[in-house]
Amino acid sequence: MPSDTVGNGALVPLTGDPPAVYPLHHGLAPPICRLSISWSRGNTLHLSLFSSTAAKVVEVKLTSEDQEIPDAHWRRIAYGSVAPFALLQSRRSSLSALLKTPSPYHSDWWENVLQYSKEIGSLLGGSKLPPSPIIEDSKTIVKRDEEPTSLKAAWELIEIFYVDKQSQSWLPERLVDWLTDYDSLFTSTHETIHGKLVDFQKELVNIQVIEDDSRYWELLSSALSVGWLDIVVKMLRLHGSYQLDQLSKRELENGLVETVATVISKMPRLRPESVGKLGEFYKSKADFIKCWEKWRSQITKLDCSPFWIQCDNQQTVDGLRNLLQIMLGNTDSLCMATCFWIELYISHFLYIRPFTMGIESMSNLAQKCIQLKPQSNTHRLAGLMVGILEENTEVVLAECSREFGPWLVAHAIELLTAGSEQAEVLLHEERYNLGGISIVELHRLVYAQILSSHALTWQIAPIYLSSCVKQGMGLLENLLYRQSVQHNNVLLKNIEICRLYELDGISSNIMKIAGVYHWKHGHKGAGVFWLQQAQDSSCLDRIAQQLFDSVGKSISDESFKQWEGMIELLGSESKPAGGLEFLHKYRDFKKSLQKVSGGKSTELARQAVGSLMLLMKNPSTPQRFWLPLLYDSLKLLNWKDCPILGVSETNLLLNKLQDLSLAKLRPYYTEPSLPPDALSSIRLALATNLGRAILDE
Amino acid sequence: MAATAIHKFPQYQYVDAVRWLPQLSPLDRFAVLALFDFDSDASSIQIHSLASNPFSLQPQFSWSSPSRISSLKTSLFLQKPLIVASTAAGSLHFLFADSSDASFDSEVSLPEGTLHSVPASSVDLMDGGVECVTVGEDGKVNLVGVGESNLSCRRLFDSGGLVSYTAARWASSVEFATGGYGFSLQWWDQRKPGGPVSNFKGNWDKKLSSGIVHSIDIHPSRKHTCLAGGSLGTVFAWDLRWQQQPIILSGAGAGTGAGNTMVHSVSESEVWEVQYDRCIKSNTSSTRILPSMICSEDGILAVIEQGEEPVELLAEACAINSFDIDRHNPSIKCACFFVVTLILGC
Repeated sequence: MPSDTVGNGALVPLTGDPPAVYPLHHGLAPPICRLSISWSRGNTLHLSLFSSTAAKVVEVKLTSEDQEIPDAHWRRIAYGSVAPFALLQSRRSSLSALLKTPSPYHSDWWENVLQYSKEIGSLLGGSKLPPSPIIEDSKTIVKRDEEPTSLKAAWELIEIFYVDKQSQSWLPERLVDWLTDYDSLFTSTHETIHGKLVDFQKELVNIQVIEDDSRYWELLSSALSVGWLDIVVKMLRLHGSYQLDQLSKRELENGLVETVATVISKMPRLRPESVGKLGEFYKSKADFIKCWEKWRSQITKLDCSPFWIQCDNQQTVDGLRNLLQIMLGNTDSLCMATCFWIELYISHFLYIRPFTMGIESMSNLAQKCIQLKPQSNTHRLAGLMVGILEENTEVVLAECSREFGPWLVAHAIELLTAGSEQAEVLLHEERYNLGGISIVELHRLVYAQILSSHALTWQIAPIYLSSCVKQGMGLLENLLYRQSVQHNNVLLKNIEICRLYELDGISSNIMKIAGVYHWKHGHKGAGVFWLQQAQDSSCLDRIAQQLFDSVGKSISDESFKQWEGMIELLGSESKPAGGLEFLHKYRDFKKSLQKVSGGKSTELARQAVGSLMLLMKNPSTPQRFWLPLLYDSLKLLNWKDCPILGVSETNLLLNKLQDLSLAKLRPYYTEPSLPPDALSSIRLALATNLGRAILDE
Repeated sequence: MAATAIHKFPQYQYVDAVRWLPQLSPLDRFAVLALFDFDSDASSIQIHSLASNPFSLQPQFSWSSPSRISSLKTSLFLQKPLIVASTAAGSLHFLFADSSDASFDSEVSLPEGTLHSVPASSVDLMDGGVECVTVGEDGKVNLVGVGESNLSCRRLFDSGGLVSYTAARWASSVEFATGGYGFSLQWWDQRKPGGPVSNFKGNWDKKLSSGIVHSIDIHPSRKHTCLAGGSLGTVFAWDLRWQQQPIILSGAGAGTGAGNTMVHSVSESEVWEVQYDRCIKSNTSSTRILPSMICSEDGILAVIEQGEEPVELLAEACAINSFDIDRHNPSIKCACFFVVTLILGC
């Protein structure tokens, strides 16, 4: 190979992330002389390897997916989100039909979206952690029920800001809850309070005198700064002065610790009551402000108390008084106590601006906090949060798309438009640069494409495609045509989807393809079934001719069992069977002939003649069967007791015989395999019968 | 119906089929799972033991299959659990499990191509496991005799592709039923070779709504009735004594059939499996069809009874491929996509 295929022969250095290595298991003996690579479905590479003696095709799945959530879990989320999504879409369309406006935005709409959001949110939880022991360990500070995921954190963040109108009045406290649940996620990029707490908890067993450890006091102030009151109170009670043997000697110190713990657990909070949370809860802002002032004045009084000087454990005094500073909203203390900007931001809401309501001026504060706690690398959730606080829908979408993938964008868009007409217009407006589709449709299409590319998820892509007014149906047709017809499972699902979306034309095309496929592979019955379902008479006519070739040879009385099932399948005459309906009548004729064969009943013979006449009159009876049919009916023509064919009937048969002799002169005539004297004996029988019939009449 | 408890056990592979292993002792319960890993194309049959308190499904033994499992059945053979599986490549495998701990003892198989030219659509094991019937879309009907160390197979019938078979079920030691396209059913008797003893094709093709039979069940106490489930949510019974009239129990497409004015439809999708509900004690002298359970492509697991409103046990977001009812213990297990669900005390 010439060395200068790239540039001047210099190897292009790899930049960015280190390359991923995928070992191949091809089992071929080296050397491999040729290798061809192409894309397969999804993010799978199709590799064809050729050695001198053999060749093999292997598929390599490239994983670039979110490692936080395994594939199987992703698929569960994908399937689980279908029903809430479809429900919301149907509500949206029925509502806009009712209001006769394209936008369903009205005052109660957010309640529908909130329900949707809660249902989707419940799917996103990480794996459940083993239940905590029944007897609670006093040394367990941090505990949780399930592994948090960034995806769920992102979803909840969007829900808090865009959907949940009820909680707008206690937005800061919702953020406190959010951070409580998801602070641990940030540990991956930088230090967090949660991370420090977990580390400290691990060492807890080795620490003798906890209050002498400076980390104990640091963590107390940290946990308090972000409002984890239960953890703070629990940790305070680990203080050495609570131990029975110490109590008498350190009465004053213990009194101070307990006082601070009590003050903390009585902190007024503007939020609905919730189990397991400490503090005093207020729903009305006026009540809250009143109690907050009272609580603050208590702390100020406590801070000036003379007992601090009397206490001889300086570390305890300093630690406790720092906690008081946090609660008094001392900016430096808060900045010291928190690890990164979101924690600092939350602490501002708790202790400096407790009366903040709504999103106004939240962005400026966020900028201030980011400046105070600059970060070298931003966590993806932090990026999302900045976008939300700046009230920039496009940035939020971009962050969702870049960091969390198409699933989140396609589903979170519903949340973004829940409360704002402006966002609704922005996202639903048709854009020239997107080929006339809206941003919403674009993201749904992208997600649907991802679903379509996997064998396990293509089935749910139609739900999303059908919600795309411009391009959806076209892509859905593509998707349906692309599925294989070989496997009944896929084929049946495909047809079911066509039925659901009333795509009768596609459905019948797919059934035709399936019919021809089965026919070609020798599954004649299955082929006929699908062609019949597709009502494709012309195709049935054509394959009928092929089928008759084998009928002519094999439809003897013994092999009839084989044909029976096929004829049953063709069903009654009301169904289109093309030329195949001949088989049905042929079977009836054969059956009645069989009944006649042994007996002498003229009645049965008349019935057989009836079947024969039906066959001979029917234009779909192939010409090549005329002679064999007449030959089979010799017994009827020569019926002993009386002529059972009338004059007109005999004449019709004679005419057919005449037609046949003309047909013999044409090319492509195939001689039926009958005894050489067959034709003459039929002629003779017909002539005799005609004579007898004339005499009779 | 007593209070039910539902337990879900997520799997990391796609679950194609589930079966209970015939119970060895009253204490141990084992489940057989046919699993398929889409990412590595690996398929396997695993035996999981069901532990109570806390409820868990623990994989015990695994046998890796050369190809994806298309049909799975279990039975007892000489007091040993026997599993039979047909694969997408067309091979047939018999796995004998140990009677004490359900570990795999031995495996006998027939390679691809010996029985069918295409994958066998359905296999069924006779009670007692001595004989297995396999049917396929190629129109072949084979009987495989199971011995302790060898298999003997013979072809009972070959339609030459004129008729395809998609389901099979034993009725007795000599009779069995098969199903196929156009909601057709066939009744076979080993003593009368050369073809099916009777053919069934209902008169419901007035509308263009025909389909495929996916599953058949026959109750040991009523061998003359064949219960079948297939496309369009159709569940019907064929009474051999009333040959041309199907008794429609559920279905969207066939609901307007003669004499079936009161048909409830629990699903409009493919009914993948149908089994008589042996948990429900029903009046066996009644002329009505015994209650049965179905699972469907649109994620429904339901009990249907003639003339009654169907009872939905589960409604999942994705297809339920398979379920099995434990005959000795009133519980159901069903495979849904990536989850095995256990329903107790139904």
